[in-house]
Amino acid sequence: MTVKGRVWKFKDDIDTDQIYPGKYLPLTDKNEMAKHAMEGTEIGAEFLKDVKKGDIIVAGKNFGCGSSREHATVAIKGTGVSVVIARSFARIFHRNAVNTGLPIIELKEADEIAQSDILEVNCETGEIKNITQDRAYKGIPLSSLEMDIMKAGGLLEYLKKEELGGL
Amino acid sequence: MTIIEKIFSRKTGGKKVKPGDYIWVDLSLVAMRDFGGPNVIQEYIRAFGDHPVFDKKRVAVTFDLHIPARNEKVAVNQKTLRDFVKQQGVHLFDVNTGIGQHILLENGLVKPWDIVIGTDSHMNLLGAVGAAGFGMGTTDVAGAMYKGRLWFRVPETIKIVVKGNAGEYVTAKDIILYILKRLKTDGALNRAVEFTGDAVERMTLAERITMSSMVTEMSGEVGFFETSAEVLDFIRSRTDEPISGLKADPDAGYEKAYEFVIDDLKPQIACPHSPDNVTEVEKKSGVKVNQVFIGSCTNGRFEDLKAAADILKGRRINKGVRLIIVPATAEVAAQAVEAGLYESFLKSGAVVTNPGCALCTTGHPGILAPGEVMVSTSNRNFIGKLGKGAEVYLASPVTAAATALTGVITPPGEI
Repeated sequence: MTVKGRVWKFKDDIDTDQIYPGKYLPLTDKNEMAKHAMEGTEIGAEFLKDVKKGDIIVAGKNFGCGSSREHATVAIKGTGVSVVIARSFARIFHRNAVNTGLPIIELKEADEIAQSDILEVNCETGEIKNITQDRAYKGIPLSSLEMDIMKAGGLLEYLKKEELGGL
Repeated sequence: MTIIEKIFSRKTGGKKVKPGDYIWVDLSLVAMRDFGGPNVIQEYIRAFGDHPVFDKKRVAVTFDLHIPARNEKVAVNQKTLRDFVKQQGVHLFDVNTGIGQHILLENGLVKPWDIVIGTDSHMNLLGAVGAAGFGMGTTDVAGAMYKGRLWFRVPETIKIVVKGNAGEYVTAKDIILYILKRLKTDGALNRAVEFTGDAVERMTLAERITMSSMVTEMSGEVGFFETSAEVLDFIRSRTDEPISGLKADPDAGYEKAYEFVIDDLKPQIACPHSPDNVTEVEKKSGVKVNQVFIGSCTNGRFEDLKAAADILKGRRINKGVRLIIVPATAEVAAQAVEAGLYESFLKSGAVVTNPGCALCTTGHPGILAPGEVMVSTSNRNFIGKLGKGAEVYLASPVTAAATALTGVITPPGEI
Protein backbone atom coordinates (compact mmCIF):
# COMPACT_ATOMS: atom_id res chain seq x y z
CA MET A 1 0.00 0.00 0.00
CA THR A 2 2.09 2.92 -1.29
CA VAL A 3 0.74 6.45 -1.16
CA LYS A 4 2.12 9.73 -2.43
CA GLY A 5 1.08 13.11 -1.17
CA ARG A 6 1.81 16.57 0.14
CA VAL A 7 2.70 17.15 3.80
CA TRP A 8 0.68 19.11 6.35
CA LYS A 9 3.07 19.69 9.24
CA PHE A 10 1.87 19.90 12.85
CA LYS A 11 3.61 20.41 16.21
CA ASP A 12 4.14 18.25 19.32
CA ASP A 13 1.28 17.23 21.61
CA ILE A 14 -1.58 17.88 19.18
CA ASP A 15 -4.51 16.78 21.37
CA THR A 16 -7.88 15.43 20.37
CA ASP A 17 -9.54 18.79 21.05
CA GLN A 18 -7.31 20.38 18.43
CA ILE A 19 -7.92 17.50 16.02
CA TYR A 20 -11.66 17.52 16.59
CA PRO A 21 -13.08 20.24 18.88
CA GLY A 22 -15.50 19.04 21.54
CA LYS A 23 -18.36 21.16 20.23
CA TYR A 24 -18.72 18.89 17.18
CA LEU A 25 -19.02 15.68 19.21
CA PRO A 26 -22.76 15.35 18.48
CA LEU A 27 -22.07 14.99 14.71
CA THR A 28 -22.35 11.43 13.40
CA ASP A 29 -22.06 11.87 9.62
CA LYS A 30 -18.49 11.11 8.51
CA ASN A 31 -18.50 13.77 5.77
CA GLU A 32 -19.75 16.40 8.19
CA MET A 33 -17.13 15.33 10.74
CA ALA A 34 -14.38 15.65 8.10
CA LYS A 35 -15.24 19.35 7.71
CA HIS A 36 -13.81 19.97 11.19
CA ALA A 37 -10.67 17.80 11.12
CA MET A 38 -7.64 19.59 12.66
CA GLU A 39 -9.84 22.68 13.07
CA GLY A 40 -8.46 23.52 16.51
CA THR A 41 -4.83 23.65 15.34
CA GLU A 42 -2.93 26.80 14.33
CA ILE A 43 -3.14 25.94 10.64
CA GLY A 44 -6.58 24.31 10.90
CA ALA A 45 -8.41 26.80 8.66
CA GLU A 46 -5.77 26.57 5.94
CA PHE A 47 -5.73 22.77 6.18
CA LEU A 48 -9.49 22.50 5.80
CA LYS A 49 -9.49 24.87 2.85
CA ASP A 50 -6.74 23.13 0.91
CA VAL A 51 -6.46 19.49 2.02
CA LYS A 52 -6.60 17.07 -0.90
CA LYS A 53 -7.15 13.36 -1.16
CA GLY A 54 -3.86 11.57 -0.55
CA ASP A 55 -2.29 14.37 1.51
CA ILE A 56 -0.18 13.34 4.49
CA ILE A 57 -0.19 14.62 8.08
CA VAL A 58 3.21 14.79 9.80
CA ALA A 59 3.44 15.72 13.49
CA GLY A 60 5.73 15.69 16.52
CA LYS A 61 5.44 13.66 19.69
CA ASN A 62 2.30 12.39 21.44
CA PHE A 63 -0.08 13.02 18.53
CA GLY A 64 -3.71 12.44 19.53
CA CYS A 65 -3.29 12.83 23.28
CA GLY A 66 -6.31 13.78 25.37
CA SER A 67 -9.75 12.26 25.21
CA SER A 68 -10.73 8.89 23.77
CA ARG A 69 -13.01 10.37 21.07
CA GLU A 70 -12.90 8.35 17.87
CA HIS A 71 -14.19 11.34 15.97
CA ALA A 72 -10.52 12.36 15.73
CA THR A 73 -9.44 9.46 13.52
CA VAL A 74 -12.74 9.29 11.63
CA ALA A 75 -12.61 13.01 10.79
CA ILE A 76 -8.98 12.83 9.56
CA LYS A 77 -9.79 9.80 7.44
CA GLY A 78 -12.81 11.61 6.05
CA THR A 79 -10.63 14.42 4.65
CA GLY A 80 -8.89 11.91 2.38
CA VAL A 81 -5.58 12.07 4.29
CA SER A 82 -3.78 8.86 3.34
CA VAL A 83 -1.48 8.37 6.34
CA VAL A 84 -0.49 10.12 9.56
CA ILE A 85 3.22 10.14 10.45
CA ALA A 86 4.31 11.28 13.93
CA ARG A 87 7.28 11.01 16.27
CA SER A 88 4.92 9.22 18.67
CA PHE A 89 1.20 8.60 19.10
CA ALA A 90 -0.98 8.57 22.20
CA ARG A 91 -2.24 5.04 22.95
CA ILE A 92 -5.96 5.56 22.49
CA PHE A 93 -5.49 7.52 19.24
CA HIS A 94 -3.25 4.71 17.96
CA ARG A 95 -5.94 2.11 18.79
CA ASN A 96 -8.71 4.23 17.32
CA ALA A 97 -6.71 4.67 14.10
CA VAL A 98 -6.41 0.89 13.71
CA ASN A 99 -10.01 0.26 14.72
CA THR A 100 -11.40 2.85 12.32
CA GLY A 101 -8.97 2.15 9.47
CA LEU A 102 -6.59 5.15 9.41
CA PRO A 103 -2.96 4.20 8.55
CA ILE A 104 -0.32 5.62 10.93
CA ILE A 105 3.48 5.39 11.06
CA GLU A 106 5.83 6.28 13.91
CA LEU A 107 8.96 8.06 12.73
CA LYS A 108 11.79 9.25 14.99
CA GLU A 109 12.93 11.77 12.36
CA ALA A 110 9.46 13.27 11.76
CA ASP A 111 10.78 16.74 12.66
CA GLU A 112 13.02 16.72 9.57
CA ILE A 113 9.99 16.68 7.28
CA ALA A 114 8.71 20.14 6.30
CA GLN A 115 5.36 21.66 5.37
CA SER A 116 4.42 20.96 1.71
CA ASP A 117 7.18 18.34 1.19
CA ILE A 118 6.08 15.56 -1.14
CA LEU A 119 6.39 12.09 0.37
CA GLU A 120 6.05 8.59 -0.97
CA VAL A 121 5.09 6.23 1.83
CA ASN A 122 4.76 2.48 2.02
CA CYS A 123 2.22 2.09 4.81
CA GLU A 124 3.02 -1.59 5.32
CA THR A 125 6.83 -1.47 5.50
CA GLY A 126 7.13 2.03 6.98
CA GLU A 127 9.50 3.14 4.21
CA ILE A 128 9.23 6.86 3.59
CA LYS A 129 10.79 8.75 0.69
CA ASN A 130 10.94 12.52 0.94
CA ILE A 131 10.96 13.43 -2.73
CA THR A 132 11.31 17.18 -2.07
CA GLN A 133 14.34 16.78 0.20
CA ASP A 134 15.69 13.64 -1.47
CA ARG A 135 15.93 11.69 1.79
CA ALA A 136 14.68 8.31 2.89
CA TYR A 137 13.52 7.05 6.27
CA LYS A 138 12.35 3.84 7.87
CA GLY A 139 9.44 4.38 10.22
CA ILE A 140 7.58 1.90 12.41
CA PRO A 141 4.48 0.78 10.55
CA LEU A 142 1.46 -0.93 12.10
CA SER A 143 2.00 -4.53 13.18
CA SER A 144 0.66 -7.29 10.94
CA LEU A 145 -2.16 -7.90 13.43
CA GLU A 146 -3.14 -4.22 13.24
CA MET A 147 -2.79 -4.23 9.45
CA ASP A 148 -5.21 -7.15 9.26
CA ILE A 149 -7.77 -5.24 11.34
CA MET A 150 -7.36 -2.12 9.25
CA LYS A 151 -7.63 -3.98 5.95
CA ALA A 152 -10.83 -5.66 7.15
CA GLY A 153 -12.30 -2.17 7.48
CA GLY A 154 -11.83 -1.76 11.21
CA LEU A 155 -12.26 -3.78 14.37
CA LEU A 156 -15.98 -4.52 14.17
CA GLU A 157 -15.78 -5.65 10.56
CA TYR A 158 -12.77 -7.77 11.46
CA LEU A 159 -14.61 -9.46 14.32
CA LYS A 160 -17.65 -10.11 12.14
CA LYS A 161 -15.56 -11.61 9.33
CA GLU A 162 -13.78 -13.79 11.85
CA GLU A 163 -17.15 -14.97 13.14
CA LEU A 164 -18.22 -15.89 9.61
CA GLY A 165 -14.99 -17.79 9.06
CA GLY A 166 -13.71 -15.11 6.67
CA LEU A 167 -10.44 -14.65 8.51
CA MET B 1 8.64 -10.64 33.63
CA THR B 2 7.07 -7.38 34.81
CA ILE B 3 3.52 -7.38 36.19
CA ILE B 4 1.84 -6.43 32.90
CA GLU B 5 3.89 -9.06 31.04
CA LYS B 6 2.81 -11.67 33.60
CA ILE B 7 -0.88 -10.78 33.27
CA PHE B 8 -0.77 -10.80 29.46
CA SER B 9 1.24 -14.01 29.50
CA ARG B 10 -1.32 -15.81 31.68
CA LYS B 11 -4.19 -14.58 29.50
CA THR B 12 -2.54 -15.94 26.37
CA GLY B 13 -2.23 -19.39 27.89
CA GLY B 14 1.23 -19.06 29.45
CA LYS B 15 3.03 -17.89 26.33
CA LYS B 16 6.01 -15.73 27.28
CA VAL B 17 5.32 -12.23 26.02
CA LYS B 18 7.69 -9.28 25.68
CA PRO B 19 7.28 -5.54 25.11
CA GLY B 20 6.30 -4.74 21.55
CA ASP B 21 4.47 -8.05 20.99
CA TYR B 22 0.98 -7.78 19.55
CA ILE B 23 -1.46 -10.25 21.07
CA TRP B 24 -5.12 -11.09 21.40
CA VAL B 25 -6.24 -11.68 24.98
CA ASP B 26 -9.44 -12.71 26.73
CA LEU B 27 -10.96 -9.99 28.87
CA SER B 28 -12.19 -10.41 32.43
CA LEU B 29 -14.68 -7.57 32.30
CA VAL B 30 -15.98 -4.98 29.84
CA ALA B 31 -17.43 -1.82 31.42
CA MET B 32 -19.03 1.34 30.14
CA ARG B 33 -20.59 4.32 31.79
CA ASP B 34 -23.25 6.93 31.27
CA PHE B 35 -20.74 9.02 29.29
CA GLY B 36 -19.44 7.08 26.28
CA GLY B 37 -21.70 4.12 27.01
CA PRO B 38 -24.60 5.29 24.81
CA ASN B 39 -22.19 5.58 21.83
CA VAL B 40 -20.97 2.05 22.51
CA ILE B 41 -24.54 0.72 22.52
CA GLN B 42 -25.33 2.60 19.31
CA GLU B 43 -22.29 1.13 17.59
CA TYR B 44 -22.88 -2.35 19.01
CA ILE B 45 -26.47 -2.43 17.74
CA ARG B 46 -25.42 -1.02 14.35
CA ALA B 47 -22.78 -3.75 13.94
CA PHE B 48 -24.26 -6.73 15.76
CA GLY B 49 -27.99 -6.03 16.20
CA ASP B 50 -29.47 -7.86 19.16
CA HIS B 51 -26.70 -10.49 19.22
CA PRO B 52 -26.10 -11.49 22.87
CA VAL B 53 -22.92 -10.10 24.46
CA PHE B 54 -20.04 -12.58 24.99
CA ASP B 55 -20.92 -13.12 28.67
CA LYS B 56 -23.57 -11.09 30.45
CA LYS B 57 -21.87 -11.64 33.81
CA ARG B 58 -18.75 -9.96 32.47
CA VAL B 59 -20.31 -6.77 31.12
CA ALA B 60 -21.17 -3.88 33.44
CA VAL B 61 -22.80 -0.50 32.98
CA THR B 62 -22.10 2.15 35.61
CA PHE B 63 -23.74 5.53 36.04
CA ASP B 64 -21.16 7.79 37.57
CA LEU B 65 -20.98 11.09 35.77
CA HIS B 66 -24.20 13.03 35.17
CA ILE B 67 -26.24 11.57 37.97
CA PRO B 68 -29.13 11.78 38.43
CA ALA B 69 -29.89 12.95 34.88
CA ARG B 70 -29.99 16.74 34.83
CA ASN B 71 -31.38 17.35 31.37
CA GLU B 72 -33.40 15.57 28.73
CA LYS B 73 -30.44 14.52 26.55
CA VAL B 74 -28.74 12.85 29.50
CA ALA B 75 -32.00 11.19 30.53
CA VAL B 76 -32.41 9.75 27.02
CA ASN B 77 -28.81 8.48 27.07
CA GLN B 78 -29.36 6.82 30.42
CA LYS B 79 -32.57 5.21 29.17
CA THR B 80 -30.66 3.82 26.16
CA LEU B 81 -28.31 2.11 28.60
CA ARG B 82 -31.08 0.82 30.90
CA ASP B 83 -32.98 -0.60 27.90
CA PHE B 84 -29.84 -2.38 26.69
CA VAL B 85 -29.15 -3.75 30.17
CA LYS B 86 -32.71 -5.08 30.37
CA GLN B 87 -32.47 -6.74 26.96
CA GLN B 88 -28.98 -8.22 27.47
CA GLY B 89 -29.09 -9.00 31.19
CA VAL B 90 -25.73 -7.38 31.97
CA HIS B 91 -24.86 -5.71 35.30
CA LEU B 92 -26.29 -2.25 35.96
CA PHE B 93 -25.11 0.08 38.69
CA ASP B 94 -27.60 2.93 38.51
CA VAL B 95 -27.48 6.58 39.65
CA ASN B 96 -27.49 5.62 43.33
CA THR B 97 -24.15 3.79 43.42
CA GLY B 98 -21.14 5.99 42.54
CA ILE B 99 -17.92 5.97 40.51
CA GLY B 100 -17.68 2.96 38.19
CA GLN B 101 -14.20 1.60 38.95
CA HIS B 102 -14.84 1.83 42.70
CA ILE B 103 -18.23 0.15 42.30
CA LEU B 104 -16.68 -2.70 40.29
CA LEU B 105 -14.14 -3.22 43.08
CA GLU B 106 -16.73 -3.08 45.86
CA ASN B 107 -18.92 -5.60 44.04
CA GLY B 108 -16.18 -8.16 43.58
CA LEU B 109 -16.10 -7.81 39.78
CA VAL B 110 -12.36 -7.05 39.63
CA LYS B 111 -9.48 -9.04 41.12
CA PRO B 112 -5.70 -9.31 40.70
CA TRP B 113 -4.62 -10.73 37.29
CA ASP B 114 -7.81 -9.48 35.60
CA ILE B 115 -7.85 -7.49 32.37
CA VAL B 116 -10.63 -4.91 32.39
CA ILE B 117 -11.52 -2.32 29.78
CA GLY B 118 -13.97 0.56 29.95
CA THR B 119 -14.93 3.92 28.49
CA ASP B 120 -13.19 5.95 31.21
CA SER B 121 -9.56 7.03 30.88
CA HIS B 122 -9.08 6.34 34.60
CA MET B 123 -9.93 2.62 34.35
CA ASN B 124 -6.23 2.16 35.09
CA LEU B 125 -6.79 2.88 38.79
CA LEU B 126 -7.69 -0.83 38.96
CA GLY B 127 -3.93 -1.36 38.86
CA ALA B 128 -4.11 -0.58 42.57
CA VAL B 129 -5.41 -4.13 43.10
CA GLY B 130 -3.22 -5.77 40.46
CA ALA B 131 -5.78 -5.69 37.64
CA ALA B 132 -4.84 -4.34 34.22
CA GLY B 133 -7.45 -1.63 33.58
CA PHE B 134 -7.52 0.22 30.26
CA GLY B 135 -9.60 3.18 29.10
CA MET B 136 -10.70 2.71 25.50
CA GLY B 137 -12.71 4.20 22.68
CA THR B 138 -16.19 3.27 21.49
CA THR B 139 -15.18 0.73 18.84
CA ASP B 140 -12.87 -1.16 21.20
CA VAL B 141 -15.56 -1.44 23.86
CA ALA B 142 -18.28 -2.44 21.38
CA GLY B 143 -16.04 -5.09 19.79
CA ALA B 144 -14.90 -6.37 23.18
CA MET B 145 -18.48 -6.71 24.36
CA TYR B 146 -19.23 -8.87 21.33
CA LYS B 147 -16.21 -11.19 21.47
CA GLY B 148 -14.80 -10.88 25.00
CA ARG B 149 -11.35 -10.42 23.61
CA LEU B 150 -9.22 -7.64 22.24
CA TRP B 151 -5.83 -6.90 20.71
CA PHE B 152 -3.01 -5.29 22.70
CA ARG B 153 0.57 -4.23 22.25
CA VAL B 154 2.55 -5.43 25.28
CA PRO B 155 3.90 -2.18 26.75
CA GLU B 156 7.35 -1.52 28.18
CA THR B 157 7.35 -1.03 31.95
CA ILE B 158 8.79 1.91 33.89
CA LYS B 159 9.77 1.32 37.51
CA ILE B 160 9.18 4.08 40.05
CA VAL B 161 10.89 3.50 43.39
CA VAL B 162 9.65 5.59 46.33
CA LYS B 163 11.69 5.44 49.52
CA GLY B 164 11.55 6.98 52.96
CA ASN B 165 8.99 8.26 55.41
CA ALA B 166 6.56 11.01 54.54
CA GLY B 167 6.10 13.73 57.14
CA GLU B 168 2.81 14.79 58.68
CA TYR B 169 0.20 15.98 56.15
CA VAL B 170 2.16 14.51 53.22
CA THR B 171 -0.18 12.07 51.46
CA ALA B 172 -0.11 9.72 48.46
CA LYS B 173 -1.48 12.62 46.40
CA ASP B 174 1.53 14.77 47.28
CA ILE B 175 3.85 11.91 46.33
CA ILE B 176 2.23 11.31 42.94
CA LEU B 177 2.15 15.05 42.16
CA TYR B 178 5.86 15.19 43.00
CA ILE B 179 6.48 12.26 40.64
CA LEU B 180 4.46 14.02 37.90
CA LYS B 181 6.58 17.13 38.34
CA ARG B 182 9.62 15.09 37.29
CA LEU B 183 8.09 12.75 34.71
CA LYS B 184 5.78 15.34 33.10
CA THR B 185 2.50 14.60 31.35
CA ASP B 186 4.11 12.38 28.72
CA GLY B 187 6.69 10.77 31.01
CA ALA B 188 5.10 7.33 30.87
CA LEU B 189 3.64 7.58 27.35
CA ASN B 190 2.11 4.22 26.42
CA ARG B 191 4.04 2.49 29.21
CA ALA B 192 3.02 0.40 32.20
CA VAL B 193 4.27 1.68 35.53
CA GLU B 194 5.27 -0.27 38.64
CA PHE B 195 5.42 1.54 41.96
CA THR B 196 7.78 -0.03 44.43
CA GLY B 197 9.98 0.83 47.43
CA ASP B 198 9.25 0.87 51.16
CA ALA B 199 7.11 4.02 50.98
CA VAL B 200 4.58 2.46 48.62
CA GLU B 201 4.68 -1.06 50.03
CA ARG B 202 3.05 0.35 53.18
CA MET B 203 0.33 2.17 51.24
CA THR B 204 -3.34 1.41 51.92
CA LEU B 205 -5.76 0.48 49.12
CA ALA B 206 -7.06 4.07 49.08
CA GLU B 207 -3.53 5.45 48.71
CA ARG B 208 -2.72 2.97 45.94
CA ILE B 209 -5.86 4.07 44.09
CA THR B 210 -4.69 7.70 44.29
CA MET B 211 -1.31 6.76 42.80
CA SER B 212 -2.64 4.44 40.07
CA SER B 213 -5.35 6.82 38.91
CA MET B 214 -2.81 9.54 38.18
CA VAL B 215 -0.77 7.34 35.86
CA THR B 216 -3.26 8.59 33.24
CA GLU B 217 -1.82 12.09 33.77
CA MET B 218 1.65 10.81 32.78
CA SER B 219 0.09 9.26 29.64
CA GLY B 220 0.83 5.84 31.12
CA GLU B 221 -1.34 2.80 30.40
CA VAL B 222 -1.65 1.37 33.89
CA GLY B 223 0.14 1.63 37.25
CA PHE B 224 0.74 -1.44 39.40
CA PHE B 225 1.91 -2.40 42.89
CA GLU B 226 2.92 -5.74 44.33
CA THR B 227 -0.38 -6.87 45.89
CA SER B 228 -0.51 -6.25 49.64
CA ALA B 229 -2.25 -8.28 52.35
CA GLU B 230 -4.83 -5.47 52.71
CA VAL B 231 -5.65 -5.57 49.01
CA LEU B 232 -6.02 -9.37 49.03
CA ASP B 233 -8.25 -9.23 52.14
CA PHE B 234 -10.43 -6.54 50.54
CA ILE B 235 -10.91 -8.52 47.32
CA ARG B 236 -11.51 -11.77 49.23
CA SER B 237 -14.22 -10.06 51.27
CA ARG B 238 -16.02 -9.22 47.99
CA THR B 239 -15.89 -12.43 45.99
CA ASP B 240 -15.85 -16.18 46.49
CA GLU B 241 -13.59 -16.73 43.50
CA PRO B 242 -10.04 -17.90 44.23
CA ILE B 243 -7.64 -14.97 44.53
CA SER B 244 -3.88 -14.87 44.17
CA GLY B 245 -1.54 -11.93 44.49
CA LEU B 246 1.08 -10.92 41.97
CA LYS B 247 4.47 -9.28 41.82
CA ALA B 248 7.15 -8.81 39.20
CA ASP B 249 9.98 -11.32 38.84
CA PRO B 250 13.25 -10.21 40.47
CA ASP B 251 14.90 -10.21 37.03
CA ALA B 252 12.07 -8.39 35.26
CA GLY B 253 13.17 -6.05 32.48
CA TYR B 254 12.33 -2.37 32.91
CA GLU B 255 12.75 0.27 30.26
CA LYS B 256 13.67 2.91 32.85
CA ALA B 257 13.75 3.35 36.61
CA TYR B 258 13.23 6.50 38.66
CA GLU B 259 13.92 6.91 42.36
CA PHE B 260 12.24 9.32 44.76
CA VAL B 261 13.12 9.90 48.41
CA ILE B 262 10.24 11.49 50.32
CA ASP B 263 11.70 12.10 53.79
CA ASP B 264 11.76 15.87 53.30
CA LEU B 265 8.82 16.14 50.91
CA LYS B 266 6.38 18.98 51.64
CA PRO B 267 2.70 19.06 50.55
CA GLN B 268 2.48 19.57 46.77
CA ILE B 269 0.02 21.37 44.51
CA ALA B 270 -0.46 21.29 40.71
CA CYS B 271 -1.11 24.78 39.39
CA PRO B 272 -3.24 25.75 36.37
CA HIS B 273 -3.47 24.37 33.73
CA SER B 274 -1.46 21.13 33.84
CA PRO B 275 -1.15 18.28 36.34
CA ASP B 276 2.67 18.49 35.99
CA ASN B 277 2.82 22.20 36.84
CA VAL B 278 3.65 21.20 40.41
CA THR B 279 5.14 23.17 43.28
CA GLU B 280 5.03 23.18 47.09
CA VAL B 281 1.73 24.29 48.60
CA GLU B 282 3.53 26.91 50.72
CA LYS B 283 4.79 28.62 47.56
CA LYS B 284 1.16 29.26 46.54
CA SER B 285 0.10 30.17 50.04
CA GLY B 286 -2.41 33.01 50.13
CA VAL B 287 -3.88 32.57 46.62
CA LYS B 288 -7.60 33.36 46.94
CA VAL B 289 -9.93 30.45 46.23
CA ASN B 290 -13.67 30.48 45.44
CA GLN B 291 -14.38 26.78 45.70
CA VAL B 292 -12.88 23.57 47.07
CA PHE B 293 -13.80 20.07 45.84
CA ILE B 294 -12.98 16.93 47.83
CA GLY B 295 -13.80 13.68 46.02
CA SER B 296 -13.27 12.01 42.57
CA CYS B 297 -11.91 8.58 41.61
CA THR B 298 -8.51 9.77 42.80
CA ASN B 299 -9.43 10.99 46.29
CA GLY B 300 -13.02 10.00 47.08
CA ARG B 301 -12.42 7.03 49.39
CA PHE B 302 -13.45 6.98 53.07
CA GLU B 303 -9.82 7.53 54.14
CA ASP B 304 -9.69 10.70 52.02
CA LEU B 305 -12.90 12.06 53.54
CA LYS B 306 -11.71 11.15 57.04
CA ALA B 307 -8.39 12.96 56.50
CA ALA B 308 -10.30 16.07 55.37
CA ALA B 309 -12.70 15.80 58.32
CA ASP B 310 -9.76 15.66 60.74
CA ILE B 311 -8.63 19.06 59.46
CA LEU B 312 -12.13 20.56 59.40
CA LYS B 313 -13.15 19.14 62.82
CA GLY B 314 -15.67 21.51 64.37
CA ARG B 315 -14.45 24.56 62.42
CA ARG B 316 -16.48 26.64 59.96
CA ILE B 317 -15.21 27.10 56.42
CA ASN B 318 -14.29 30.62 55.32
CA LYS B 319 -17.31 32.71 54.25
CA GLY B 320 -15.78 33.50 50.87
CA VAL B 321 -15.43 29.87 49.78
CA ARG B 322 -17.72 27.00 48.79
CA LEU B 323 -16.72 23.49 49.88
CA ILE B 324 -18.19 20.56 47.91
CA ILE B 325 -17.57 17.06 49.24
CA VAL B 326 -18.53 13.98 47.22
CA PRO B 327 -17.91 10.38 48.37
CA ALA B 328 -16.76 7.97 45.64
CA THR B 329 -19.53 5.46 46.26
CA ALA B 330 -22.70 4.87 48.27
CA GLU B 331 -20.74 2.42 50.41
CA VAL B 332 -18.16 5.11 51.20
CA ALA B 333 -21.01 7.53 51.96
CA ALA B 334 -22.62 5.07 54.38
CA GLN B 335 -19.29 4.55 56.10
CA ALA B 336 -18.83 8.31 56.36
CA VAL B 337 -22.30 8.76 57.85
CA GLU B 338 -21.61 6.04 60.39
CA ALA B 339 -18.32 7.64 61.40
CA GLY B 340 -20.07 10.98 61.92
CA LEU B 341 -18.30 12.68 59.01
CA TYR B 342 -21.47 13.95 57.34
CA GLU B 343 -22.58 15.73 60.49
CA SER B 344 -19.15 17.28 60.82
CA PHE B 345 -19.06 18.33 57.12
CA LEU B 346 -22.48 19.93 57.31
CA LYS B 347 -21.61 21.78 60.51
CA SER B 348 -18.47 23.10 58.79
CA GLY B 349 -20.64 24.52 56.04
CA ALA B 350 -19.87 22.02 53.25
CA VAL B 351 -22.22 20.98 50.46
CA VAL B 352 -22.26 17.17 50.37
CA THR B 353 -23.71 15.69 47.17
CA ASN B 354 -24.54 12.16 46.04
CA PRO B 355 -21.68 9.74 45.27
CA GLY B 356 -20.18 9.99 41.78
CA CYS B 357 -17.43 11.57 39.67
CA ALA B 358 -18.76 15.06 40.44
CA LEU B 359 -16.44 17.96 39.62
CA CYS B 360 -14.21 16.23 37.10
CA THR B 361 -16.16 17.60 34.14
CA THR B 362 -18.63 20.33 33.34
CA GLY B 363 -21.60 17.99 33.65
CA HIS B 364 -21.93 18.34 37.39
CA PRO B 365 -23.35 21.02 39.70
CA GLY B 366 -20.59 23.26 41.00
CA ILE B 367 -19.08 24.46 37.71
CA LEU B 368 -16.98 27.60 37.98
CA ALA B 369 -17.55 31.05 36.51
CA PRO B 370 -14.84 32.73 34.44
CA GLY B 371 -12.05 34.00 36.67
CA GLU B 372 -12.96 31.73 39.58
CA VAL B 373 -10.38 29.55 41.31
CA MET B 374 -10.84 26.05 42.73
CA VAL B 375 -8.66 23.69 44.70
CA SER B 376 -9.65 20.15 43.72
CA THR B 377 -8.58 16.67 44.83
CA SER B 378 -9.31 15.27 41.37
CA ASN B 379 -6.70 14.32 38.77
CA ARG B 380 -6.84 16.91 35.98
CA ASN B 381 -6.78 20.68 35.75
CA PHE B 382 -6.88 21.17 31.99
CA ILE B 383 -7.96 24.56 30.79
CA GLY B 384 -11.73 24.92 30.44
CA LYS B 385 -12.50 21.46 31.83
CA LEU B 386 -14.55 22.87 34.70
CA GLY B 387 -15.71 26.11 33.18
CA LYS B 388 -14.29 28.56 30.68
CA GLY B 389 -11.81 31.00 32.19
CA ALA B 390 -11.63 29.18 35.53
CA GLU B 391 -8.43 28.05 37.24
CA VAL B 392 -8.04 24.71 38.99
CA TYR B 393 -5.30 23.63 41.40
CA LEU B 394 -4.86 19.94 42.29
CA ALA B 395 -4.00 18.95 45.85
CA SER B 396 -4.57 16.39 48.59
CA PRO B 397 -7.74 16.21 50.70
CA VAL B 398 -5.90 17.71 53.70
CA THR B 399 -4.57 20.68 51.71
CA ALA B 400 -8.05 21.12 50.21
CA ALA B 401 -9.68 21.10 53.65
CA ALA B 402 -7.14 23.56 55.08
CA THR B 403 -7.79 25.84 52.10
CA ALA B 404 -11.56 25.68 52.64
CA LEU B 405 -11.06 26.89 56.23
CA THR B 406 -9.06 29.97 55.26
CA GLY B 407 -10.40 30.74 51.77
CA VAL B 408 -6.84 30.96 50.44
CA ILE B 409 -4.40 28.19 49.47
CA THR B 410 -3.03 26.99 52.80
CA PRO B 411 -0.48 24.33 53.73
CA PRO B 412 -2.30 21.83 55.98
CA GLY B 413 0.35 22.15 58.69
CA GLU B 414 -0.67 25.75 59.28
CA ILE B 415 -4.15 24.90 60.55
